[in-house]
Amino acid sequence: MKLPILPTSVVGSYSMPGWLERLKTEYFARRISRHDLDEIHDNAVKAAIKDQEAAGVDIITDGELRRDNMMDYFLERLPGVQIDRSSKKFYYDFYNCSVQGKLPMAALGVAGDFQFLKNFTEHEAKFCVTGPHALTKRIHNEFYPNEEALATDLARALNLELKELVKAGARIIQIDEPYYSGFPDDLDWCVKVLNTLVEGVDAKIVVHICYGNRYGKPTWEGSYRYLFPRILEAKVHQLTLEFARRGGEDLDLFREFKPPFELGVGVIDVKTQAVETADTVAERVRKALEFVPAERVTVLPDCGCFHLPRDIAFAKLCAMVEGTRQVRKELGQ
Amino acid sequence: MILQLNHLPKKTSGASAQDIVATLQSMLEEGHLEQEQFANLCVHLDWIQYKQNFREPVMVVACAEQNSGGLPFFEVHVDLRQIVQGALRPELLKAMAPANPEFGHHAPATDDRVLLEEFQPFRTSIAWRFNHLYWQRLAEWERSTGHGYEEALPGGRSDANHPRAVGDGVADFWTLVRDLETKKQLPSELFVLEIGVGMGTRAGLWLDGFQKLDRERGTNYYPRVRFLLGDYSPATLERSKAAVRAHMEQCSFVVLDALNPLQTLSFLRHKIQHIHMTNVYDNLPDEEMARRDGRLYLVEVRAYLPATDAERIAQEFGLAQRDLARCIERLLEAGPEHFGDRARGVGFWMQVWAAMRLEEQLVCVDELPAEALPPELDRSRLDEMLREAPSDVRFHVSTGALESFRNTLPLLSTRGYLQVQDIFVTQWSEYQLGFHGPGKLDGSIVNWVNGLLLRETAERAGYDLHFAPFRYREGSRTSILFTTQRE
Repeated sequence: MKLPILPTSVVGSYSMPGWLERLKTEYFARRISRHDLDEIHDNAVKAAIKDQEAAGVDIITDGELRRDNMMDYFLERLPGVQIDRSSKKFYYDFYNCSVQGKLPMAALGVAGDFQFLKNFTEHEAKFCVTGPHALTKRIHNEFYPNEEALATDLARALNLELKELVKAGARIIQIDEPYYSGFPDDLDWCVKVLNTLVEGVDAKIVVHICYGNRYGKPTWEGSYRYLFPRILEAKVHQLTLEFARRGGEDLDLFREFKPPFELGVGVIDVKTQAVETADTVAERVRKALEFVPAERVTVLPDCGCFHLPRDIAFAKLCAMVEGTRQVRKELGQ
Repeated sequence: MILQLNHLPKKTSGASAQDIVATLQSMLEEGHLEQEQFANLCVHLDWIQYKQNFREPVMVVACAEQNSGGLPFFEVHVDLRQIVQGALRPELLKAMAPANPEFGHHAPATDDRVLLEEFQPFRTSIAWRFNHLYWQRLAEWERSTGHGYEEALPGGRSDANHPRAVGDGVADFWTLVRDLETKKQLPSELFVLEIGVGMGTRAGLWLDGFQKLDRERGTNYYPRVRFLLGDYSPATLERSKAAVRAHMEQCSFVVLDALNPLQTLSFLRHKIQHIHMTNVYDNLPDEEMARRDGRLYLVEVRAYLPATDAERIAQEFGLAQRDLARCIERLLEAGPEHFGDRARGVGFWMQVWAAMRLEEQLVCVDELPAEALPPELDRSRLDEMLREAPSDVRFHVSTGALESFRNTLPLLSTRGYLQVQDIFVTQWSEYQLGFHGPGKLDGSIVNWVNGLLLRETAERAGYDLHFAPFRYREGSRTSILFTTQRE
């Protein structure tokens, strides 16, 4: 599938409807069945696909609406991770979980969800996977000597799943690592683990690094400078960063370090319900183009739209697409 | 008949539970009540904590819809603090007649009172306009009473200004800043916001304390502090300047609405390290709900003046009784100067306020539009929260506090925290053990705040909420709410 210059995409999650939140929580209270919840998820995902397509987004996801949060969807499928199922009151809460022995190497079985997405769209599709560093921070480690060792085994297991996703037709896979920004001192081993994760995976690998979006608020503050130069060793194709909320100061790092990968530039602030105008988006894209050539830029929101009301999320995506089209025109495309 | 004793009796009163049962039984025998009505009566015995409040010694609360099903025909609320020896029977007869006109021997409700409004949710009641007037014209009220508003508080002073409490708050903030520095996350500006600053005393104490601690520890954080004093009254902000005059370089004075600080300070979204409020939530528009026989009801109110008070006030101020309501409206619009002589205007205001009562009725929530409830409390959420509550419970919705809370949290930085000193209900069972407002405190309204609803709201917004007792003043009912980041 040929993508236009400055393709637009989403970071992963789409607006989580209030009714779906309630139904997910009902499931935890054992008031609806797994079968019913699966059907509800299927329909919610189809609606999210339709919204992204209608907004004109080039590379879409399933909106991650099957996921309770970015951690538990993977952790409860990872063989060897012990889940305390009583530890959750509201669906969005994190499970308490632990690792008490060496993780068995087996895929997680999420490729079916990607297949579902592919069945219902003609658009380019992307699947997002929470990275081993973030998952490690949520696991109570009772076996491995240190976090790096646990993360490395998580990366090996997830690597099998990435290969399953490729078999299912995934050509773009995004690794979400929002905890890098909270633990910059981990970066040395994070990059090694990231390379283990993507080894031999025949797909375009995008890494999304932000400052957190839990409950729709930032978890950390700072500058992306901590990523450099170590991140240059990552065997990935694109780095997707947030610039709308934080401003474009860190774009200069792309001029300073000339990374070998593309830039996914965040132009939509997902932590406010104020809808950007297309002009604002265009301005932000133009700013990014001062540092990275258009052929190597993808346009996205800062992070997932999970916490935004649906009408706001949709309006923001429309503005993103329209603003990007303005810049494409200026480029003669 | 259900008799609910909503307080732990400690003091003697003009009536006992036995008196009430006996009186109602005699009313039944004399034909003032029907057998079925007697059987369905729900009688609440309260001890109204606030000497000045909006209730008669006996109040009847009826259901607005006759076909709601399940609800007793009406509830009777007896204030054991107000009732005097020998008054129970006439008060009961008087109060129950309007709710049951076909059996009553007394005039209908509207004849013994001057109505000031139609039934409506408490948050929109005229009572809040009096509250607003009080804060706008505080100086005139104080001149007339001869004492400052803080003297009306329990203990005669505001808990906001307790030196040890402020000192501990300063130390907590310093610890946070130190930790930020250790983690190389110290911002160039440290924003602190106090909402509802009063005389500015707490802000002054806080800044004095932080400057001193900073000097002692040689950390040089003080120059980074940007202290925002926020209040909706420009006059109050002006008065607060004297208390912080030694720190003017650090201070900004912001007129803001406590219900929506974000509206004024949106440029500081996710940037403020610490927000403090004392006794703000308890003075924000509120309303109550009741669950009876498994159904939820909104308590609607109608402000009125008892006829005897209306007559007395009209006479004293040379007004016709029929002009009272119009005169009160002018007072609320134009202030006490409407009377020409301001002191006389304040006198009228004080007398009307003291006499004002609220009649109540219950309206089934199912019959209300969805927007009647705060966005945090749609029906399914509310049902979920009330699973932990007693089956029959009357509670505050804390509409204003929820709105303020919702519009304050987005201002907090990633490590920022909110601290609120106020009177909170933190267990559902507390609602069965005492009256929690609304009451009158000088010319303002005071209401306990439903900490349980705030806690639920906080959790969904990514914060855990904690309540600590205010241990700095013996016998204080104040709690300190503070937030921590939720994983």
